[in-house]
Formats: sequence, C-alpha cells, structure tokens
Amino acid sequence: MTTSPASATVTVKRPVVRNRLVSWLIFGVVSLYFLIPLAATFYWSLRGMKDVLGFEAYRKLFADTNFLPAFSQSIVNAVATIFLSLLIVVPTAYWVTLRLPKLRPVVEFITLLPFVIPAVVLVFGIIRLYSAPPLLFTATYNSSRIVLIFVYVCLSFPYMFRSVDNGLRAIDVRTLTEAAQSLGANWGTILFRVIFPNLRVALLSGALLTFAIVIGELTIALYMAQHTLGPYMSDLTRSKVYEPSAMAIVAFAITWAAMGIIDFVGRGATRHVQMVEAD
Amino acid sequence: MSYLSISHVTKQFGDTVVVDDFNLDIEKGEFVSFLGPSGCGKTTTLRMVAGFEIPTAGKILLDGADITDKAPNQRNVGMIFQSYALFPNMTVAQNIGFGLSVRKESKEMVAQRVDEMISLINLEKHALKYPYQLSGGQQQRVSLARALAIHPQVLLLDEPLSALDAKIRVSLRAEIRAIQKKLGITAIFVTHDQEEALSISDRIVVMNSGLMEQVGTPFEIYNFPTTVFSANFVGSLNNASAEVVDPALSLISIDGVQFESAVDLKERKKGDKVRVAIRPERLSFASEQKKANVVDSIIENITFLGSVVRIRVKIGNTKFNMDTFNNPFLDLPKIGAVEQVTCSREAVLVLDE
Ligand SMILES: Nc1ncnc2c1ncn2[C@@H]1O[C@H](COP(=O)(O)OP(=O)(O)OP(=O)(O)O)[C@@H](O)[C@H]1O
Ligand SMILES: [Mg+2]
Repeated sequence: MTTSPASATVTVKRPVVRNRLVSWLIFGVVSLYFLIPLAATFYWSLRGMKDVLGFEAYRKLFADTNFLPAFSQSIVNAVATIFLSLLIVVPTAYWVTLRLPKLRPVVEFITLLPFVIPAVVLVFGIIRLYSAPPLLFTATYNSSRIVLIFVYVCLSFPYMFRSVDNGLRAIDVRTLTEAAQSLGANWGTILFRVIFPNLRVALLSGALLTFAIVIGELTIALYMAQHTLGPYMSDLTRSKVYEPSAMAIVAFAITWAAMGIIDFVGRGATRHVQMVEAD
Repeated sequence: MSYLSISHVTKQFGDTVVVDDFNLDIEKGEFVSFLGPSGCGKTTTLRMVAGFEIPTAGKILLDGADITDKAPNQRNVGMIFQSYALFPNMTVAQNIGFGLSVRKESKEMVAQRVDEMISLINLEKHALKYPYQLSGGQQQRVSLARALAIHPQVLLLDEPLSALDAKIRVSLRAEIRAIQKKLGITAIFVTHDQEEALSISDRIVVMNSGLMEQVGTPFEIYNFPTTVFSANFVGSLNNASAEVVDPALSLISIDGVQFESAVDLKERKKGDKVRVAIRPERLSFASEQKKANVVDSIIENITFLGSVVRIRVKIGNTKFNMDTFNNPFLDLPKIGAVEQVTCSREAVLVLDE
C-alpha cells in the first residue's frame, strides 16, 4: 500500500524532470545565440587602449559632443511615437473589436503594410510627397523631424496593433463596455478607466517594441537628414574602431533601462490610482 | 399609468423578427421574469430596455418618460450580466463606487454609499479585494451592489445565476429577491429555468420564438397555462390528444376513456380535437369516495426520485406520469397491476391542439 503511491510519483516525475532538462537545454542554446555576440561586443569595447582592458572607448564616446544630443533626440522621438501610436491604435482596435469585428482582417492588413513596403521605398515616397508644395513639410530640420515621428508611428502599427488586439481578446470588451455604459460612463471614461488599465501589459509590450525600433532606426532617419542615434552610429562605425562597440553596449543598456522605467512607472501609476480611488 | 411600459415593441435583425409585438406594463417595485427557451428573444427585449438595442418599432416608457431612443448611459438602469462583468482592474469597493464617481459625486458620498452597499451584500471583509480573488457567487453579489449603488429606476438581470453551481444559485436567488423587496426596486429577471422564475417572481412572461405566450403570476402560469407551449415549458406535464364528447358537460375522451373537465367547453363542438394536459402530481390512486374521473390504468414503471415517486401508468393507449410524495410507508403497486387512478375535474386542462 505504501509503495504504490511512491512508485506512482516516480513514474510521474521522471518525464517532468526530463522535460525540464530539455527546456533548459533549449533555453541555454538560444541564450548563447544572444549572449555570445553581446559578450564579444562588450569584450571588443574594452580594448580601447593598447594591451589593457578598460573603459577608454566609453570615455571617448561620451566625450564626443555629438553623441548625447543624438541619443536624447532618439529617445524623445521614441516617446512621442509611442504616445501617438497608442492614441491612434487603442481606440481603433477597441472600436473594431466592439462594433466592426468584420473589418478586423482589413485593419490588420493595413497595420501590416510597413512590413510589406521596404523602408527605402517608404522614405523616397515620403520625400517626394512632402518636399514640394503644397505639402512642403521637410523645409526645416524640425518640421522634418515631425514627419519622421509620424513615419515611425506607422512603422509601430504592426507591433502596437498586435499587442493591443491580443490584450483586447483577453478581456470581455463588449460586456465590460456595456456594464460601464449602464453605470453612466461615456466613451472617454470607458477608454481611460476601463479599457486602458486592463490593457497595461499589452500596451507595455507594444511600447517596448516601438521603443526598440525607433532607437535603432537608420534608413529613414538618414535620408531625412536627422541627427538621431542610427545615423550617428553608422558614422561612427565608418570612422572609429572600438567606440561603435561601446556605443552598442550603451544603447543596449539604456534601452533596457528605459523599458524598466516605463514598466516601473506604469505599475506604480496604476497602483497609485487604485489607492487614491479606494480612499 | 404603469411605471415601466413596453408597448408594441418589435425588434428585427435584418429580416428575422426576434421580438414580435411585445407588450408589458410593469408596476413600481414589481419583480417580473422573462421565461423561455434559448433564442426566444429574452435578452434582446431586456437589452432594449437597457438601451443597448433600439426597437424596430414600438415605445418604451419609464416613469412617464419616453426612453426608446435614449443612450444607455443616459438611462438610469442597472444591469447584471451572466458573466458578472466586474472591472478586473478595480477592487470591490472601486467597482461599486464606479457609477457614482462617473456621476461626479463627492468622495465622502461615494465612500458612504459603497459602505452601505458592501454591508447590504455582506462582503465587508472583501472590500479591498480584486474580482479574481472572489468566488463566482461573491462576484455576482458585487455586481448587484454595483448596479444598485446608482439608485437605478429599473434593475435588469440577464441570467445572473446561470454560471453558478446549484446550491449558490438557490441561495443567491433568495438573496436577490430579499434585497429587491427591501429596496422596493422594479426588476426584470431573464431566465430559462422555470423553477427559478416560479420561485422568485411576482409575474412571469412566458416567451416563445419572439412572442409572448402568457403573462401571469407564478400560480396562474403553473396551474392555469393557457397555451400548450407554456403548459409544457413550465413544470412537467402529461399531454394527450383528445376529442370533445359533450361540450355542455365538459366531457372529453382520450382514446375512448372519458374525462370530465372544469374548463368551459361550450365554445367547442362535439368531435373537436383538443389537447388535454394533466400535471403528474394531480393524478393519484383512487380511493372509494372519489366519483369523477376514476379510470382504470396499468402500472408500467415506478421511478424513485427522492422526495417524489414517479409512477408511469397506461390509460387507454396513452402513458401518463403520476407523481406521489415519498414516505417510508408508501404502499406501491406491482408493475403490470391494474389500478384505478383519478384526478379532479380542475386538473384536466383543455388547450387548443
Ligand atoms: N446582434 C444580433 N444580430 C443578429 N441576430 C441576433 C442578434 N442578437 C440576437 N440575435 C438573434 O436573436 C434571437 C434571440 O436572441 P436572444 O439573445 O434575445 O435570445 P435569448 O432568449 O436571450 O436566448 P438565451 O436563453 O440563449 O440567452 C436569436 O436567434 C439570436 O440569434
Ligand atoms: Mg439571453
């Protein structure tokens, strides 16, 4: 009697252990795929001085007066892109889910267009369209920058729409909306107090992907003569040896830090709102 | 003038008529159930009262005001959903306070009303929990409190108990009824469970494929069904086709076996085909005193159902169920035996074929 449960657990446990081993093995191999290039880049970035490992390349990078402006410009562009993209995609996806479910495939296809049209084609189209009257929006650096941000908003659509759409499928949008309506809420209230807060994780992943794209984008920024991180980095690669590696590591670290901050702020904000309302 | 008046309301989706000429006047404080099979238009009718659907034709008046085309958030109507529909990002207290904070009530007022509601539903210990931390029954009580917090003019409940298990279903329906009575609130309750409708309602509307079959108190609906559909749908029922033998004496015959009914048959002619319905619990073994409707039957089968014993008897060529209360001294006949069974004249319902 006492042996049978024991043997049962053994026979149950063994496949689990083996499964776990396989999982870890796959995880390890995939991690190596990421980690080896990263480690190599990091190692290379430390060799800024002859024969000694050190942070010389980093010092030079930060000493370069072009680096920080390019970097901050990219971050501002990314934040603006995320903001606009959310404001366009969330209400659209929400409305499609709620009222026009038949249009979903169409909207999904439209959001996928940035994948279909190569960046080079896109940027030449934009330049042709917007650099002559009556749509002369590329006359100054700043107006071009605004155009650039709107282009980035389009580029973010596939990621943003997918994340938001997944998030909306996870909650019962229609019933929640009707419950809120019967309690007297208007569309604005429903969006900002019911829909947005329940999409937190989805919005965050959309924002993360958008951030990563904008920070690293080269082609469009280059052709629109913008001094963002992409063109700066490509310049650097052509003229320097060790600094590009240092730069890659810094960009990597700061991207992740920025995402960490967004996550933290997002989480803190919802908790704060909840506590205030409970008072 | 009634409090809520649904008059000649029709709803079409494309070419299909889903609700057909629905007419109902509900008094203030009344509890009305819509009862009917799946797809008969109960939810659609309820959603028109809530404002989520606009009637194709007809009017809905609430306390004298025409609300037919009003937006849902402009009506003062509380809605309870089968799936609870609590906001996952808010605590119990925030959920209950949502409607009031949307109305821009002061913080103190919201807090006070939320406390009131939480003690009404006995969830004091759970005020700061999130919906996912509650059981289904608790969640549905929160959603009841949330709907009631805004002092709605009408409370609409769309199968609020269907997702719960049997025990909770019974206790929560009693709780809903008690709260409704205590607050004197007007309520419409949608269900396809006849026992639920019978036990909880002041009046029941029996619906069938978009049409109202019968409106009446649970007592009327159960004892005096006016259509074959409502007779069959509410409670279990024996029914057989029969022929009028003597309209003046209300005599009918089922396969040659004569029954006397209390129903007035003067409108019908001898030989008319009708449908006769008798509830199983109205049939019993005949004792000597009874004279009307004593007929011979053959015992076919006996099924023990707990508090009730169901005996299947054959009268003429038709099989009937006969229910009798169980008790330890019950003297049950043998299968195949011939016994006399009887029922009162009132138990013999005559419906249109
Ligand atoms: N938006 C809609 N478009 C088209 N047809 C609809 C729509 N809503 C409901 N119907 C149809 O109307 C009929 C009645 O639906 P309704 O939801 O009112 O039924 P119900 O009585 O509530 O049924 P259940 O007990 O299954 O909830 C169904 O045949 C349904 O398919
Ligand atoms: Mg329904």
